[in-house]
Amino acid sequence: MKLPTEGTLRRIAVFAAAFGIGVATYIAIATAGGDAPACIAGEGGCEKVTDSSHSELLGIDVAVIGVIGYVLLLVAALLRGDGARMAGFGFALFGFGFSVYLTYLELFRIDAVCQWCVASAVSMTVLFAVNTMRMLWYVGRPDG
Amino acid sequence: MDEERRQRLVKLGSAVAFLAIAAVLVAVVISQSQSEGGDASDVKDVALVSNQLRGIPQKGMVLGDPDARVALVEFGDLQCPACKGYAEGIIPEVIAGPVRRGEAKLDFRNYVILGSESTDAGAGAIAAGEQGRGWNFVELFYRNQGFENSGYVTDDFLTAIARGAGVPDIAQWNADRRSKAVLREVNRTTSQASSLGFTGTPSFAVQGSDGALEPIGTPGSASEIESALSQAG
Repeated sequence: MKLPTEGTLRRIAVFAAAFGIGVATYIAIATAGGDAPACIAGEGGCEKVTDSSHSELLGIDVAVIGVIGYVLLLVAALLRGDGARMAGFGFALFGFGFSVYLTYLELFRIDAVCQWCVASAVSMTVLFAVNTMRMLWYVGRPDG
Repeated sequence: MDEERRQRLVKLGSAVAFLAIAAVLVAVVISQSQSEGGDASDVKDVALVSNQLRGIPQKGMVLGDPDARVALVEFGDLQCPACKGYAEGIIPEVIAGPVRRGEAKLDFRNYVILGSESTDAGAGAIAAGEQGRGWNFVELFYRNQGFENSGYVTDDFLTAIARGAGVPDIAQWNADRRSKAVLREVNRTTSQASSLGFTGTPSFAVQGSDGALEPIGTPGSASEIESALSQAG
């Protein structure tokens, strides 16, 4: 099987990170005004999730933490070299782990699902996959 | 040589993975530690709430001079942590200012979005309001709030809040909070909040002398609220 080139992995990471920035920024702006993001399928899932006590960490909106994380992942995807490969992998692993925890909270503690959070979780999963491949296959090798 | 360097980098990558996993665990622990409160055997801030509201008239869920020309209506969910933050950070200034001066009254209406425990809590507040202690119940509940839908809103917890709020007749309060009329009121105000276009809690509206509700969203400070009240009055 032919491995995807590092350039392909980086392009996918740039797209996924930009998508994540858009989603997280929208959630952050919507909740900052005291509202919930527009839930396309209705049923109030987004209200329930954004009003939950787990929508903040140390007083900081989780969506804002998401924006910061996606920006770091975007920068790592745009840069070349082993430092960027390592950093991208580290940020993506943290983001993916935290995203799994937030999804657990939605399903089993808050008992509601916000479509925007699902979109962010999918984006973070893609970033974790491509950054892991980039790290395992291309670290220590010439830039692609 | 290149392969040796690559092996070293892979080891370094393992260390990065370890640090990232450790960071996730720290974030999870911090997130979980935010869920305190909801303890029926240890109701806090009874005196603080009592002092905050002392001497201000209450009728139903309305706090303040009944003849005040303008009302601030809070649509809240008693389980909502943002409402708790508001109750502790902004509402005290509103109570100490325009409400205590008799310029405005404060009306709490349930906007149940978090689940059935919010309905039970809201019904408890309305029943406390029947005995003139509705705002004591609301404020004390917020200050002792637990993690939403974790099962903490039990009969014991609600009764402890009602006692702390100074509800004089607990037997009557128990009967009232389980009545269909009270449940209908919780559902009515929840529908009202939705029809006003609100999508989160707490959300606010001002009500002038014409009785119409004017949504103002979630103002970021007590001064913004006072400004909205002045315009409505």
